Amino acid sequence: MTVIEDLAPPPKVEVRPRGVSRRERWQRRLPLLPALIYTIVVTQIPFLVTLYYSFQSYFWNTTAPAHFNGVSNYKTVFTTPAFRSALWRSVVMTAAAVIIAMILGVALAVLLDRKFFGRGVVRTLLITPFLIMPAAAALVWAGPMLDPNFGLLNYLLAPFGVHHVAWLSTHALGSVIVVMIWQWTPFMTLIVLAGLQSQPPDVLEAAKVDGAGAFATFRELTLPHLRPYIELGILLGSIYLVNVFDQVRLMTNGGPGTATTNLPFYLYQQVNYAFDIGGAAATGVVTVILTIIVATFALRMFARVFRFEEAV
Amino acid sequence: MAQVRYVSASRVYGKNAPPAVDALDLEIRDGEFMVLVGPSGSGKTTALRMLAGLEPLDAGRVEIGERDVTFVPPKDRDIAMVFQNYALYPQKTVAQNMGFALKMQGVPKDERDRRVREAARLLDLDDQMLDRKPRQLSGGQRQRVAMGRAIVREPRVFLMDEPLSNLDAKLRVQTRSQIAELQRRLGITTVYVTHDQVEAMTMGHRVAVLARGKLQQCATPRELYDNPVNQFVAGFIGSPAMNLQTVPLTDGGARLAGTVLPLPAAVRTAASQAGLGELVAGIRPEHLHLANGSGELAGEVLLVEDLGADALLHVRLAGDADPVVARTEGRTPPAPGQQVTFHVQPDDIFAFHPVTGARLAG
Ligand SMILES: Nc1ncnc2c1ncn2[C@@H]1O[C@H](COP(=O)(O)OP(=O)(O)OP(=O)(O)O)[C@@H](O)[C@H]1O
Ligand SMILES: [Mg+2]
Repeated sequence: MTVIEDLAPPPKVEVRPRGVSRRERWQRRLPLLPALIYTIVVTQIPFLVTLYYSFQSYFWNTTAPAHFNGVSNYKTVFTTPAFRSALWRSVVMTAAAVIIAMILGVALAVLLDRKFFGRGVVRTLLITPFLIMPAAAALVWAGPMLDPNFGLLNYLLAPFGVHHVAWLSTHALGSVIVVMIWQWTPFMTLIVLAGLQSQPPDVLEAAKVDGAGAFATFRELTLPHLRPYIELGILLGSIYLVNVFDQVRLMTNGGPGTATTNLPFYLYQQVNYAFDIGGAAATGVVTVILTIIVATFALRMFARVFRFEEAV
Repeated sequence: MAQVRYVSASRVYGKNAPPAVDALDLEIRDGEFMVLVGPSGSGKTTALRMLAGLEPLDAGRVEIGERDVTFVPPKDRDIAMVFQNYALYPQKTVAQNMGFALKMQGVPKDERDRRVREAARLLDLDDQMLDRKPRQLSGGQRQRVAMGRAIVREPRVFLMDEPLSNLDAKLRVQTRSQIAELQRRLGITTVYVTHDQVEAMTMGHRVAVLARGKLQQCATPRELYDNPVNQFVAGFIGSPAMNLQTVPLTDGGARLAGTVLPLPAAVRTAASQAGLGELVAGIRPEHLHLANGSGELAGEVLLVEDLGADALLHVRLAGDADPVVARTEGRTPPAPGQQVTFHVQPDDIFAFHPVTGARLAG
């Protein structure tokens, strides 16, 4: 007992998170301030202005001054069939393009993941569509590729009895989607390829020894491993493709009729043909909110991929 | 269950690279625990992968159970492998990892669960661990899951590539005996790769020593220790390593540290037949017996490493020879700087050809 009593009490160590004073915190942030202000000026102020106009009745083609009209612009947005059909078309275009591009991307990535002669060249060629400006791609497809008389596609299909199809009139939506797929497949391929190459080779060897064939290995091991990469690709693709405008404007101009009018094109029409600034602003706000919802999911997915990387 | 045979099996990686495995001839009996041992880069892993079918052969063939499997894909060889980094399936639970091979064989779920549970019990993996993912396990637990994945299958051959190298020293010793015991109980032919000669000596029924892709000797641990066929095996097997010194030959023996070590007649004849003026003499540390001033080898203690049960003496022998290591009883080791003498039994001296390294008679 005495021994224990003789022991000096352990010195108390105060454990407190290392504090940074208010002043110090501000000093640290100060150099970031110009960037912050710039970001606010170029993103938040236009948004606030848009928000402001979305509650105004404001037409460019009349001399009447803009005036507050409550939520009536929003009412119109949600009641016009044009908005709903544009929204629906955006969803269809985006979903079809992203999903098909992803399926093709996985297939191409699996092919590219093995060694063969000329792999570097093939890889570069496969990636090029992604590097082409959307407007340029749209023009190339609308003209040389899909032209009813001189188009490459009709030329190639001629031996199979297909003649002079005006693809952009008869299969407008399909044509636009095909161009979107053509541009985005390389992106999906790259993301999936990164996933494939991060798969440890000894795991695949273990699967071989365990008696799994190529298809079983893909289904049981590779696909679950690729899942976060596929989700990421789909979400990033969706965010971008929801805003597709160039192809629609340049290939079909939203037509025939409204066959290819998606949300961005509908917005454009409201401003440029109806001069309805208030209505367009309200449509824009709704679009932004919808996009933010999708983007939030995407960011979460980002976080998951990186956490996943750390854990492995 | 099956025997395994390598017949002149070779593997060359690069066009101009020396073969990683060079004409390997090795026969592993049914139910035997064979250890492949050798320094880093000696081709152990390559030899194992050739048997697994993960590495193609450039010459020769491999047989499992009398059947030539040289061109048979891994999945049809009925083998199980434990990888150095375990290679567990990260997205699958422990139970799914262990049951994967059975699933691939189309074994029904109930049967699979039963066998996984059985293997888990054998390896002391408790039930709650079966639902975890590999990344939620400690290194030792992962090692056991990797073992479990192999034994669930009841394959014809087990292949293990340094399965203990990621464990800490204590766990390694413990797991070493568990694996040996498990293998004895299951009676499945096992090929076990390690660079650790202690693991090789304690686990293997027989040990194959590889160096630079070539098989040096394949024998029981005792035989390797008592009768190494060449200088490489002699130096590799035993810890601390055998003392090897190039010594000039004289009448009746070899000259070392100012005295003449008597050599057996057979060695002397072999040396003179080969026309040698010198040879490499090898004495194991445990065969240098401290002899209070009456021994034939004299020297000065440079360093004492006390291991508890015994002590290692680093000694500079009289003359200019390299220091030698001697193992003595731990309680009363001489102090550094002290003059000591050693006694050596003539039978305990190994002699090797100074150029080829081959053992001279004996
Ligand atoms: N994939 C490869 N490509 C080219 N050379 C290789 C390859 N794998 C191994 N080698 C070479 O083959 C030789 C034998 O390698 P191996 O992996 O079989 O050695 P090891 O005995 O297992 O060594 P360690 O104890 O370090 O694991 C080495 O010289 C190595 O550099
Ligand atoms: Mg190795």
